[in-house]
Amino acid sequence: MKLFLTEDRSHVTALQDREKVDRLLQDVQAVSGRFKNEKGVQKISRTDKATLLQLYTRSTAVINDLNAKYHTPNGKNLLQIVKDYKKSFISSNFIGLKGYERALTDARLGLALWNTTLFTVVSVFLEFVLGLGLAMIMNKAFRGQGLIRTTSLIPWAIPTAVAALMWSYLYDGNSGAVSNFFQAIGLVHNSSDLLLSGSGAMMSTIIADVWKTTPYMAILLLAGLQNIPEGIYEAADIDGAGRIQKFFRITLPMLKPAILVALLFRTLDAFRVFDLIYVLTNGGPGGATETLSLYSYKTTFGQTNFGYGSVIVIIMFVCVAVIATIYVKVLGTNLMDKS
Amino acid sequence: MKKTNYKWSVLSIALIAIFLFGMIFPFFWILITSFKPDGEIFGDGAYRIIAQNPTIHAYIEVLFNKGILNSVKNSFIVATTTTVYIIAIATFTAYAISRFDFKGKNLLLGTILGVSMFPQMIVVGPIYNLFLHLHLTNSYAVVLPYSTITLPIAVWILVTHFNQIPLALEESAKIDGATSLQILYKIVFPLAAPGVFTTAIIVFIAAWNEFLLTITLNSDQSYHTVPVAVSFLRTQFQILWSEVSAATIIVTIPTLIIVLLFQKKIVSGLTSGGVKE
Repeated sequence: MKLFLTEDRSHVTALQDREKVDRLLQDVQAVSGRFKNEKGVQKISRTDKATLLQLYTRSTAVINDLNAKYHTPNGKNLLQIVKDYKKSFISSNFIGLKGYERALTDARLGLALWNTTLFTVVSVFLEFVLGLGLAMIMNKAFRGQGLIRTTSLIPWAIPTAVAALMWSYLYDGNSGAVSNFFQAIGLVHNSSDLLLSGSGAMMSTIIADVWKTTPYMAILLLAGLQNIPEGIYEAADIDGAGRIQKFFRITLPMLKPAILVALLFRTLDAFRVFDLIYVLTNGGPGGATETLSLYSYKTTFGQTNFGYGSVIVIIMFVCVAVIATIYVKVLGTNLMDKS
Repeated sequence: MKKTNYKWSVLSIALIAIFLFGMIFPFFWILITSFKPDGEIFGDGAYRIIAQNPTIHAYIEVLFNKGILNSVKNSFIVATTTTVYIIAIATFTAYAISRFDFKGKNLLLGTILGVSMFPQMIVVGPIYNLFLHLHLTNSYAVVLPYSTITLPIAVWILVTHFNQIPLALEESAKIDGATSLQILYKIVFPLAAPGVFTTAIIVFIAAWNEFLLTITLNSDQSYHTVPVAVSFLRTQFQILWSEVSAATIIVTIPTLIIVLLFQKKIVSGLTSGGVKE
């Protein structure tokens, strides 16, 4: 700018105008001197920005003035250069709470939240009931106990990524054994519905998850069952308690700490479910099985929108923290008690 | 009375059998599939229980050409190391939380839990940067971030189990002159065996099955663990189903052996009779 302006200066004839140009030149010199050794994007304070912007307005005014009065070789270019100078201000990319504002009205996020909740509630409930049953079977002393314990842990011993792949073969519409079986017993209308219809896909992922993690639940509860002293059951027998009474009055209350740990960690895991759904359905069909972590993954790495992806993660974190607090408050009263 | 009892037990055995069958069926089906030639996996041959032309080609391919044994070795090293160090740390932590009164105990438990509240793929990024700067990628140091997935649950399980061991046993040991460390390793640890071995099984399998951290941190094939190695059994256009099934069978066997060994220690009645009530 300095260069062009000095060149144009010779065309400016009136003394008054010359002075103006000189003053502007001085100012520009001063400012460029200050930022001479800085490179790349600079962070500037608010007052700095004000002075720089003022300089911009002044130079535009002067140049416009000159252009109106004289015909200078660089008149039009100068204006462009000055404009560019203003454009070199990059406003901060700090957007405050706008990401959360967007999240509030994001229908896709609402759907993902609903899917995640549905998945978590149904699968954890089924896993808990089946896992408790399995734990009670494993707890009985009989011959072949080790064999039953080990075989029933098979599903959980298979890596999730591999198990999900396995299920995608079993659910396959043409050659899947499970999908064909479901069709035969009338659970689904068409064997390809399992992965290709919204409700079918959700059901499939839940079944696969229940199959996979029931043993995990069972072994956590089994360890808790082992800690209940036999004596209590004997005393209950003498008092004439029935099977069901013993279960609700002794087993469940005594199992509370183990139940807390099992439910807590299972819920947290189910809420963050990722690889199973990623492999089985990738959130489809039409977002019917898209969970929060999958949505955040797609936003973060698929659209490289790290900001909004993080917003989703934080929302997830808040949900999970609330769930954890509720569990600990409801079930955890005796976690800290000593026997 | 006798008769209804008999009926009851037959019914429950039948229920248990159906239940276990359901649990095992998918695995069983994969076992069948692993012996099928490629042509029978999809289409008409898909529902055959015994393949028309059974083959062990997939096993040979996976074992000798795809280096699955190396990844089994890696998984074994990684999972064992994780189990040992996590159990050691978790025992101390859980014992302190269970037995000593100090400020911020609940906060500590909450923070430990908080670690497992973030989705893993968000945690992986920073860990990758850290490992890159420390030059730890492609090494067995991957066991360190494994603690984020295994330590919280280990501590929580052990706390609940330590809480159920009668204090009287420890007090009498103290009277006999045992130090705190002795009490922990000679009284509490053995008595909490069901909890400790449950934790060990859970930690071992969690480490064995870990996928995301390994694939991110150890891109070198010679450090791939089992799940990662299986995920590479595909070509550009298709998944090699027969090899995937064969690999699934092979890699599940070691974990089952570990479970079989550990589950023997999950027995009840260790503390009964220890204290007169």
